[in-house]
Amino acid sequence: MSAKQRTGGASGPSHESEFVQRRRAGASTFEEQLWTELDGIPDPHIPVSLVEMAMVYDVTADDGHVDVEMSFPCMGCPAYDMIKNDVRSCLRVVDGVDSVDVDVVWDPVWSKDMLTEPVREKMRNSGISL
Amino acid sequence: MSEWPAAAVDYVQAITDTKLVLGHRYAQWSLAGPSLEDDIGGSSAAQEEVGHVRQLFRKLESQGRDGDWLRGDRDPEEFANASCLDAIDGDWTEYMATIAPVDRAAWYMLDAVDRDDMDGMITKMGEDEYFHLEYHDARLETLADESPEKLRSTLAETLPSALALIGPENLDDDADPLVDAGFTSQSVEGIRERFVDHYRDLFADTDVSLEDVDWDAPDADAWDETRRRVGGGGIRKEDLVQIRGERNAEFAIE
Repeated sequence: MSAKQRTGGASGPSHESEFVQRRRAGASTFEEQLWTELDGIPDPHIPVSLVEMAMVYDVTADDGHVDVEMSFPCMGCPAYDMIKNDVRSCLRVVDGVDSVDVDVVWDPVWSKDMLTEPVREKMRNSGISL
Repeated sequence: MSEWPAAAVDYVQAITDTKLVLGHRYAQWSLAGPSLEDDIGGSSAAQEEVGHVRQLFRKLESQGRDGDWLRGDRDPEEFANASCLDAIDGDWTEYMATIAPVDRAAWYMLDAVDRDDMDGMITKMGEDEYFHLEYHDARLETLADESPEKLRSTLAETLPSALALIGPENLDDDADPLVDAGFTSQSVEGIRERFVDHYRDLFADTDVSLEDVDWDAPDADAWDETRRRVGGGGIRKEDLVQIRGERNAEFAIE
């Protein structure tokens, strides 16, 4: 099962919060491809993708190097390193990507307000109250 | 990131080391609580404190502190944790009366930091600390009914230790170098006042007397400004083995 299948498919615009849409709006065609790849990485705790969880804040590509800015709902997330590794592993295999840096940022602070109603519904269906 | 004043690096180091040892104390006591709720609360707090430490280490590394040194490759005397966390040998009441004031003191110190590049991180930590401190106060109030004498005698030791972590009262708005440097927006004197007022109010209508507490501690002349304590001492070797993760090193993710 692919990561995309595990998260129930790529998040279309209706699964992206306004915050993610704003961050994604200025993406180049290649950066848009990278966003789509990242949208296939599942949150290890919840059946939604990292993009749907609004954990990916920014993706910039420059001459084969990719910088990803991301945040976490929980600062003490036990999957912190694993998720960062997932992001690096996911993008490193994309044609045109030579290196990936992942920077964890806390501005803006992640909040539940960043989740769309379809994502909330997915979470509720999995027994997670919001 | 711009360079911090040396005193600011020491200040954040003391907060970080306190949180590091605090996280271990939470974990060590997380199955020893009088109820499952206490165990769950302690386990969550342990995870959050270690999460805070992970981010604070990044900040300290950006200021030149060595990562291996931060993660435990140093002697106990090089840790700048609040002194009352060096060892907690008593019972649950003594444990709670030790961790609660220290967690609050460390939060007040962090909350005083006034830097745009740390604002989001500190806000996020504050979301966690809100629940830690609410829980502590609720628990201290029940313990004030159940074992006021033990609470009184422990707080007489731990409140001055937490005050030493914050710093001596002579560091007021005119004398605090971190306020002068624009690193903090509240002086040590102001943080102390906030801290003291909180505990005086919390125990005002209880059977716990705080008359024995040395509210003037620490003596500025005896205060170690790097370790933010009075006197020597430090965590035990066994604590250091746990902090370093020596016994489980083979399972580390590289």
